[in-house]
Amino acid sequence: MTAVSVSGVTKRFGKVEALAPLDLTVDPGEVVALLGPSGCGKTTLLRIIGGLERASEGTVLVDGLPPAAARSAKRVGLVPQSPGLLPWRTVRANAGLLLDVNRSANPAHAGADIDALLSEVGLDTFADAYPHELSGGMQQRVALVRAFALNAPLLLMDEPFAALDEMTREDMRHLLVRLCERTNATVLFVTHSIAEAAFVSDRVVVMTSRPGRIYADLPVDLARPRRPELEEDPAFFAVETTLRASLRDGAGR
Amino acid sequence: MNRRPLRSSERAVAGLVGLAVFFGLWELLVRALNVRPFVLRAPSQALRYIWKSPHFYWTQAMTTGREALLGFLLALVIALLWGALMAASSILDAASTPVLVLVMVTPFATYAPSVVLWLGSGWKPIEFVVGLACLPAFAFAAADGMRSADTAARELLHSVDAGRWEVLWRLRLPAAMPSLFTAARWNVGVALVIAYLVEGYALVTRGLGAAGKRAAAFSNANGVWAVVFCMAALGVVGMLAIAAVRARVLHWHASERRPTI
Repeated sequence: MTAVSVSGVTKRFGKVEALAPLDLTVDPGEVVALLGPSGCGKTTLLRIIGGLERASEGTVLVDGLPPAAARSAKRVGLVPQSPGLLPWRTVRANAGLLLDVNRSANPAHAGADIDALLSEVGLDTFADAYPHELSGGMQQRVALVRAFALNAPLLLMDEPFAALDEMTREDMRHLLVRLCERTNATVLFVTHSIAEAAFVSDRVVVMTSRPGRIYADLPVDLARPRRPELEEDPAFFAVETTLRASLRDGAGR
Repeated sequence: MNRRPLRSSERAVAGLVGLAVFFGLWELLVRALNVRPFVLRAPSQALRYIWKSPHFYWTQAMTTGREALLGFLLALVIALLWGALMAASSILDAASTPVLVLVMVTPFATYAPSVVLWLGSGWKPIEFVVGLACLPAFAFAAADGMRSADTAARELLHSVDAGRWEVLWRLRLPAAMPSLFTAARWNVGVALVIAYLVEGYALVTRGLGAAGKRAAAFSNANGVWAVVFCMAALGVVGMLAIAAVRARVLHWHASERRPTI
């Protein structure tokens, strides 16, 4: 069974056509990046898959279920653009937030040891701290732990590192790859960043300007496990060059 | 100037110092300008008067304080439910706003006698009118605060199909706390003043309102000022209590944190 199956999906907001008919499949354990210019509908597609938005036409299946049912069954872990941490909860409590609600639907192996995950992302000494005591990068690490702790079959990430500085962003993508490789998570990752898409994903889906459609579906043939040194490798530069060219062509420039 | 949040004890001392300075200036002006007693009493005269029968004023203050507190809490509970409904539904919000404004602008003196006729004399009409007077500020604060809950967090809870009560309890209610505490500070004064005044309508014999009414009827200016001082003391205690609870509940909020610049 595919982790995500999108077939003939369109989306209109009034007279604005956000998404032209598009098809996409994601296999279990695959990390797929959605890359495209601003306003091309990447986030809209992600929200439709997550059951936060309804498609105007077409069908979507997540782990064999319609998005609303997948949402109810907690089969989807979301990492939004801003961390969305609750300022009155400690880091540990924020990391466990998704497990604390709708408890009856927690996946069978939910509740991966939150302290172990916090330790893995270097936040073990901040477990009892509050969000205002953390930097932007640390807050986003808590958001990653919160999603991974759910142990959901699919993680949807909506430009989670967009607001971070370049150095932190680099560290964050290295951390994300480490977590994905260890947990074998299926991830759909929206980004503007070519380097991010190249380093994190197994496949990059390049979208055109509005109305968004899939311009290219490019495999990233870089061996795993991926280490930070990979970003200095000629093979990595070659992937970046291919993606840049595809992005430019797709945007009609 | 460094505006750091104060500990409860520091806040209490600062409040007492502020009152001492105020009463000191008042005393000084009355004595220095030789103000006639029927125009304005010196605070020392009122305090001496309270000192003559402290048990009497303590009992009256406790009665009025209890009435104000119960009405205040009644309004808070109703406003939390009402505010949650307003935050959840734009139609309910639009329908409720004029009703709350009507409650807010109608002078309580126009309906207090009817409430006494309806509920009878005693504490019930006092609680009712105090609750009604405190309701709009609490309801607006609850609704606005709950609506202001972080959008990303709301969407996050929606992504795992959190129930309405879970969203209310885990997100909307904590998000509304800062505005609820602001409304609570305002309502401490409202509750005390309304309790004081409605005691006059409710045919009760206990409470600062009843004592003040009797003192005024006998042209006992010292008695009236003694009651005013007791009301001020109740107000200060109420504010300090709110500040102490706020510091504990809102320890995470920017207003309660030491600024870095």
